[in-house]
Amino acid sequence: MGMAERKAGSRKTVKIEGPTIDSVPITYRHRIPIGRTVKYWDGLKEGKIYATRCKSCGAVYYPPQADCPYCGSSDVEWIELPREGILETFTRVYAKPQGYEDFEPYIITIARVGDVRVMGWLINVKDERCVKVGDEVILGTTYIEKHNKYIITFQLKKQAMLTTQYGLT
Amino acid sequence: MDIALAVGVEKMNEVDTATSLAVGGRGGNYLWEYHFYGTTFPAYYALYATAHMARFGTTEEQLALVRVKNQKYAARNPKAQFQFEVTVEDVLKSRPIAWPLKLYDCSAITDGAAAAIVASEDAIRKLRIDTPVWIEAIGYASDTSNITRREDYVSLKATKIAAQMAYKRAGIEPRDVEVAEVHDCFTIAEIMAYEDLGFVEKGMGGKFIEEGQSDIGGKVAVNLSGGLLGKGHPLGATGLAMIYELVKQLREERERGRQAPLRKYIALAHNIGGTGHYGYVTILRR
Repeated sequence: MGMAERKAGSRKTVKIEGPTIDSVPITYRHRIPIGRTVKYWDGLKEGKIYATRCKSCGAVYYPPQADCPYCGSSDVEWIELPREGILETFTRVYAKPQGYEDFEPYIITIARVGDVRVMGWLINVKDERCVKVGDEVILGTTYIEKHNKYIITFQLKKQAMLTTQYGLT
Repeated sequence: MDIALAVGVEKMNEVDTATSLAVGGRGGNYLWEYHFYGTTFPAYYALYATAHMARFGTTEEQLALVRVKNQKYAARNPKAQFQFEVTVEDVLKSRPIAWPLKLYDCSAITDGAAAAIVASEDAIRKLRIDTPVWIEAIGYASDTSNITRREDYVSLKATKIAAQMAYKRAGIEPRDVEVAEVHDCFTIAEIMAYEDLGFVEKGMGGKFIEEGQSDIGGKVAVNLSGGLLGKGHPLGATGLAMIYELVKQLREERERGRQAPLRKYIALAHNIGGTGHYGYVTILRR
């Protein structure tokens, strides 16, 4: 613990006086319907990332939307996004939220991919200080066992080219 | 309605840090952000910090200077959560939370409450209030829920639109503002606020703090309460706490060393909801 943190921790705070009782804790889990975007979820399993394009007004949307947010049409088609992008910004999460405590600090990245932006984890990077805005990235998907889900993952292109295998683990 | 009481209150201290980070992170676009990638509030603002640093050369030291300034005033504010000063080194050496943001770049978990009485002109005259502070204008705007759909990561569009609306309605320019409470939930947020509120041009926020322009004696005195970083950030009370501070400032009732010098008696409060999802700018005048 650094000096700065001790200072913060040593501040007096107002303590509750007298006895207290504990509330009954609550946990809840939502069921999120994906019936109209199944193609996206199946795509992740195959390493493909899909966006939607409105057949009526032509707007491309990512994350995908079953109804066009621009013109309201429900006549949309699925298009596969390119496999390369440009890194626009990123952060490495050290203070992790509930449900992510067991992961190593992870790098959340936003990349420009064609006409849209895509969020994902940047993987196979040892030190975030070696990553730069403007770096080229290769898109893929990765299975996260702890959450039983597939997510989008990026690799730095310069690094990916050094390895023959793009199968990301 | 002639007289109303507005109350803001928040109690955040009774959950552990991981839960608090989850509640904040879920405040973004849950399905496409938290569900997949474990976004947190610090992470959202860190995405802005990284982009701002890359585009304009803003440095970690400049971010740290925001905390140094705000702690200088928090140390003099008997109602602040953290009543002590820090150095640039303290900030730089604090542990990483969401790189490039470190512990001292982030506001903390805070309990707090604030209240204000809002009255009509008639009521103020009838009650013979001799020190009213007038609401000149309120501007407001919203932005996309999904962060990948924002215009860029170097400004908050909701702030820019809300500020333009407020300045226009009040008939003033940004340079008329003498004292401001801005939404410094993270150090980068205060840097972007200088720019988006028009105190300095886009990209020059780092230089603005470095030159002391947001301090007493500079162009506009910002966050003399200690800000969200030093005074505390009880979410539901933060907006009214800003109004409270500015009312005290405009009445020149602040402690020595914490009172803004005033000629025009114009103040600005800037409050953000979510991670730039909503922006509110209020212009007050005595």
